[in-house]
Formats: sequence, structure tokens, C-alpha cells
Amino acid sequence: MATRWKEWLTGWAFVFPAVALFAVMGVYTIGSGLALSFASWNGFTPNWIWVGLENYADLLWADPSLAPAVRRAAWNTLHVCVAVPLLTVLISLPLAVTLNSVRRLRGLLRSVYFLPYVTTGIATYYAWRYLLEPEGSINLMLRSAGLGSLARPQGWLADPSTALWTLILILVWSAVPTATLLYLTGLQAIDPSMVEAARIDGAAPRQVLRRIIVPLLTPMTAGIVLLGVRDSLHGFQIFLIMTNGGPGGHTSVLALETYELAFFKGLAPTLGLSSALGWLLFAGAVLLTLANARLLRRVR
Amino acid sequence: MASMKARILSLAAVATLVAAGCSSGGGQPGEPAASGQSLTMWTFKQSHATALQKAAERFTAQTGISVKVEAVTPDDVFKSKIQSAAQTGDLPDVLEAHAAGEDLELGASGLLADIGGDVNDAWRARFLPSTRNAGVLDQGRIDRAASDSPFKQAKAGSMYAVPFTAGAFGIVYANKEKLQAAGLSPDTPPASWEEFVAALKTSTEKDPRAGGLSLGLKVSQVGYNWIYQPLAHAYLGREKFQGLFAKGTTAGFGSPGGVKTLDLYGQLTPYWMPGATTLGIDEADIAFAQGKSAYNVGGTFTLAFLAQNGMSPDKVLAFPIPPSESGAHKDIVMAPLALTSLGVTSTSENRAAALKWIDYVTSPAGAGVVAKESLDLPATDLGAEAATLMGPELAALQKYFTGAPESTYDAGDTTFFPGGYDQVKPGEVFVRLSPLKELDPARAGRELDAVFGAMWKSAE
Repeated sequence: MATRWKEWLTGWAFVFPAVALFAVMGVYTIGSGLALSFASWNGFTPNWIWVGLENYADLLWADPSLAPAVRRAAWNTLHVCVAVPLLTVLISLPLAVTLNSVRRLRGLLRSVYFLPYVTTGIATYYAWRYLLEPEGSINLMLRSAGLGSLARPQGWLADPSTALWTLILILVWSAVPTATLLYLTGLQAIDPSMVEAARIDGAAPRQVLRRIIVPLLTPMTAGIVLLGVRDSLHGFQIFLIMTNGGPGGHTSVLALETYELAFFKGLAPTLGLSSALGWLLFAGAVLLTLANARLLRRVR
Repeated sequence: MASMKARILSLAAVATLVAAGCSSGGGQPGEPAASGQSLTMWTFKQSHATALQKAAERFTAQTGISVKVEAVTPDDVFKSKIQSAAQTGDLPDVLEAHAAGEDLELGASGLLADIGGDVNDAWRARFLPSTRNAGVLDQGRIDRAASDSPFKQAKAGSMYAVPFTAGAFGIVYANKEKLQAAGLSPDTPPASWEEFVAALKTSTEKDPRAGGLSLGLKVSQVGYNWIYQPLAHAYLGREKFQGLFAKGTTAGFGSPGGVKTLDLYGQLTPYWMPGATTLGIDEADIAFAQGKSAYNVGGTFTLAFLAQNGMSPDKVLAFPIPPSESGAHKDIVMAPLALTSLGVTSTSENRAAALKWIDYVTSPAGAGVVAKESLDLPATDLGAEAATLMGPELAALQKYFTGAPESTYDAGDTTFFPGGYDQVKPGEVFVRLSPLKELDPARAGRELDAVFGAMWKSAE
């Protein structure tokens, strides 16, 4: 009995730091965030004012000066959530297949394609801003190549027709290296004899890709799509740094609205609204994940 | 046993050190200021930190009280640091905050102490008249606040801060060399909005890439706040200008007068610096200092920033947003408003010393040191010393602070805005009007009326 008690204690002694950390950093934070979404607070006053579901109602329809901005941000977020995972898969899968088939300089090429991941972050967003300026390299290249009509005189981020799609492409640029790496891992796990057998049976490379490789990589695609959706829903740094939701609100997304409600409303008691929007985002992410999982299960 | 004793002693020593580290190192609350005390202060302006530290050295020499000034930037980091420090009880003794708003909210939330009883009439009389009550929470503000605002819990008449720096928005800076190159006078400001737009046209034609107007429109409300509002105030006169924002108004932005003011603002459209909507306020100022634009709009505080970025103040011509020839007022006078203020935190254990430091740094001597170092206008009236302490260019801006009361534009007057007024929303409409040209003035007017209508409804 004493030995079992000792073992139990030893076990808990090992587990306790992790449990305590999760309890404080995870459970407490999540619980406190959820509670805050039903309150009005500016982060300074000693007490919260409980408002029930009012924050959710204000965000969704009740507050005429808030709900339209949230709806517009949701529409932009939807664009990002669909376009980023889709384009990431469409670019990284063929890239991974090509990289997997090349024999010479394979290591070098992989390193080159992985560079955006290594360098990604705030510094690269600033670098992109320079490239996208009215007198930046992209406009310069287009003009030098005789494609001046495609250049954007106000810069790619200041033009409402290109701002959101430019940011989407930069997000895809950041996501492709990881996705390619995951696909490469998946490709190397495919039994070469299956591909070989298909070739002997007369399957063209396109058919091998469509009928064998793509179905076998479905779990990997599911993972990549989920990562893309998660990053698209939660990521706001690129929108904050590169456009701050502008020009004229054309690149505002839900995560940026959440951040601005928390930190850019003076000291107005909007932390509860910010928290409520965060939970709405969470609910959206869960729904999208379930839909995605179901769709992929059906495809499989 | 000896080893156990040693462990207990070391634990006690560590506990003592931790306790010492956690304490703020001063006397007890209410204890008189005394030599040897040390104060901590946070500011959100990097340029002020150096200047304040310089003033602190003199203060220490006089009183023996040391002050450690820390800059916490940018604004959102400053705010979140205060939020977390308030929760953990680690606030400094003194805070520099945005005046007439942030300081009052900090006070109403219980983070800044009411210092009304310590700031006597002689102290208040030091400040420029329009800034004197910036840190005082009045009944009007409490009445206008939303029901969940911390103002509702605060006492009217509480003074949470004293003004520290002052200035005005809506100051145009022109690059004299570019004016000369375009054949414009480098010494004479345009007398009217129409002359200003004509000058912009000339400078842009001379240099299409770097002859326009820069402004940090990434912060969408700056065009609306710094250009439109003084322009519309001068065109319509105070009463009609305030009427634009009134609840249920029929003389709003969509009215003929309102549309005319939007039309005047829209005249800037061809002359914005390319990519202005992607520039932050500082970035736009830097672009101007680097010669990427001929004109730049900012506040009186912009001159210091331009100087920090290598543009000598004598190379710029500064003037307020000029009034339209067809408007109600033919000149614009800017009432100086308090931009930042200083308050003592309610948790400070060095209240007397903190007040002594604020007293010093808002005295002509202390404020002079800060003004000279930071090139920022103090709220303290420096009188005849102003030009010597601040330099002729900055002192010259003060001439726009005095004039006929009816044509004086007071950006600090927020009494006519809806409770919970959020300037970002009208700011975005202004960006869509100019430079994006997504809206014409009439449609922008209707959208602005809808925006303010929604704000009034939300405030209810």
C-alpha cells in the first residue's frame, strides 16, 4: 500500500509542473477569456460589468456602428480562409512532386524553396512592403518588361482592387514551404512499387498523380488545409503591419478587428467585445474544421 | 544540522532580496518628499524620455530625489503594459498619458490619483489657458459617457493629471527647396485653401512623383481630423460645423453645406503622394523629410520629428490648414490643446515626491529643459523665453494660437460628438472619398450621416 502511494506521489510529482502550467496558462486563460466575453471592461477598472450575451448581439447585429464592420471583416476573412489553403495546396503539391522526382541538386532546391519559411515573419512583411511600393521592385520590373499597364501607380497595397489579393499571395508564399515539406514527407512514405506497377500497367504520369499520389496524400492535404484555415482565421500581423485594414477597410479581417477592439479603442470598455469576437472566431474555426474533416472523409 | 541552518539562512536572505526587489523603494504613502527617494515614470514618447531624463538630472541635483524615466512604445504596448502592471500592482509612480482622454479614463478606472487638492491656483495659472482643465473630469463628460464607461463611477471635478505638452493638429509643412524649384514662394504661406490647392497642383506638375502631399492615411482618421475638421470649421463657422455631427440633424454631412466641405476636401485627390494610404503617421513624416513629397500635414509636434529625421526646421515653411475663400472665416486660429499630461498613480508610495517632480517638470525651468531637448511645445506658458528655449521655428507656430475667438478651431472640444465616438469609422469614409475616389462628396455625405447616426444610436 505504502509503495503504491509512493508511486502515485512520484507520478504526480513528475506530471504536476505540466498540469500546473496548463491550468494557469490554458484553463485559467480560456475560462477567463470566455467569462470576459459576457462582460464590459477596459482592462483597468477593478470590476467587470456583466452584460450577458449583449457583446455577441452587438457584434452580430445589434450595434449599428459595430456590426457592419464585423460583417465586412468576416467577408474578407472568408476570402482569405478559402484562397490561402486552396492556393497553398495547388502550388505546393506539384512543387513537391517535382522536387521529389528531380535527381540533381535536390538538396539545394529544397533549401531554396524552404527559404521563405526560415525568413518569414515581421521582417519579411516590411521587405514585401518595399517591393510593393509605387516605386518598388515589382512595379519597376513590370515597367521594364513593357507591362507598365499592369503596374499599380499607388502601389499594390494602396490600391483597393489589389490590396487583399496581394496579402493573400504573401500568406501563400509563407505557407508553401511547410506544405511542400509535408507533401515531400508524404511522397517518400508512398510505396514506390505502387507507382511502378501503375506505370507498367500503362498509366501516364498525370494519371499516376491523379489516381495514386493525390488520394494517398489526402491526410496530408487535410492537415495542410487545416493549418491554412487556422492561420487565416487567427493571423493578423500581416494585416496590421502592411495595411492596418486599409485602404478604406478593404483588408480588414476578423482577427485584426479583435486586436483593434482590445488595444486601439482608447480606453473604452471594449475588451469584452474583443473577447466575444475571439470566441466567435473560435466557433468559426471549429465549424470549418469539422466541415473540412467530413469532406475529406467523404473524398477518401 | 549546520547545513539545515545554512539553508534556512540562505532562504531568508533570498526572501529578503525578493521582497526588496518587489518593493518600490520609497517611503510610505503620504510620506513627505525626501532626499534619497527614487521615482519611476513611464512615457509613451521616446523623444520625451531623453528630455525628461535630462530634466530629472537637474531635479535630482536640487532635491536629491532621483527619477528613472522609461519609454514604452508604441501606444498599444504602453496600454497593455499599464493593464498588466495594474493587475500585478507594478505601476510606476508617474505616468505620462494622452491628455483629456486617456488620463481621465485611467483616473476614472482608479489608476491615477485625484491630485486636485495638491495643484493650487498658482500652479494651474502656469499653463496655457485652453489646456488648464485638460486633466479635470467634468460633469458634461460623465453625462455623455456610455452607461458602461468608468466615467459613470467617477466624481465630477476630480483632477487626475496636469497638462504637460500642448499643440495643435492641422499644421502644413512645406519643403522650401521644392517650393522654390516649382516657382512658388518659399516664405509666404498660401492665404486660402484655393491657393493651397493651386500650389499643390504646381508642385505636383513640376515633380509628379515627389511634389505632392504626404499624410499617414494608414491611420485612416488623420485626414478627417487634421485637414477636414479645421477646413470645415472655417468654411461653415462653429455652429454649423458642430451641427454636422448633431443627433438627428438635417444639416449633416449630406446637406448642401456639408457636401461643399467634402467637395473642398476631395480637391486634394490628385495631389496625394503615391501610396499615402499605406503610410503610418511617422512614415509619412519620414517620407517628407526624405524629399518624397513637397507638403506634409501634421501637428506642432511634427517639427521635432522632422528635425530628428534630418530635416532642418529652417528648411520648412509651416502654416495651418488655410480657410476657403468662400467660407465663413477668412483665417484659421488653432486653440492649443493639451496633448499629453502627467499623473500620479494611485498605488504610488511616493506621492509627495511624485508631485514635487511633476511640479518641477511643469515649471518654466523644467518645462524649458524638456522643450529644448524634445522640440515639443510645453503646456506651460514660457512667455518671453519661448523663442530662446524652443527655437524660432517652433516659437513661430505659437502665433497661430491667438486670434478671433469665433474663428478659433478647438480640436479639444468634443462636447458635440456622440458618446463612445470612434473617429476611425468616419476616417475610413474620408479615405474612400480621397484618395480612393470610391465615393463622390454627396455619397460620402450620406455615408457619414449614417455613421454618426449609428454612433448616436449605439450611445443610447
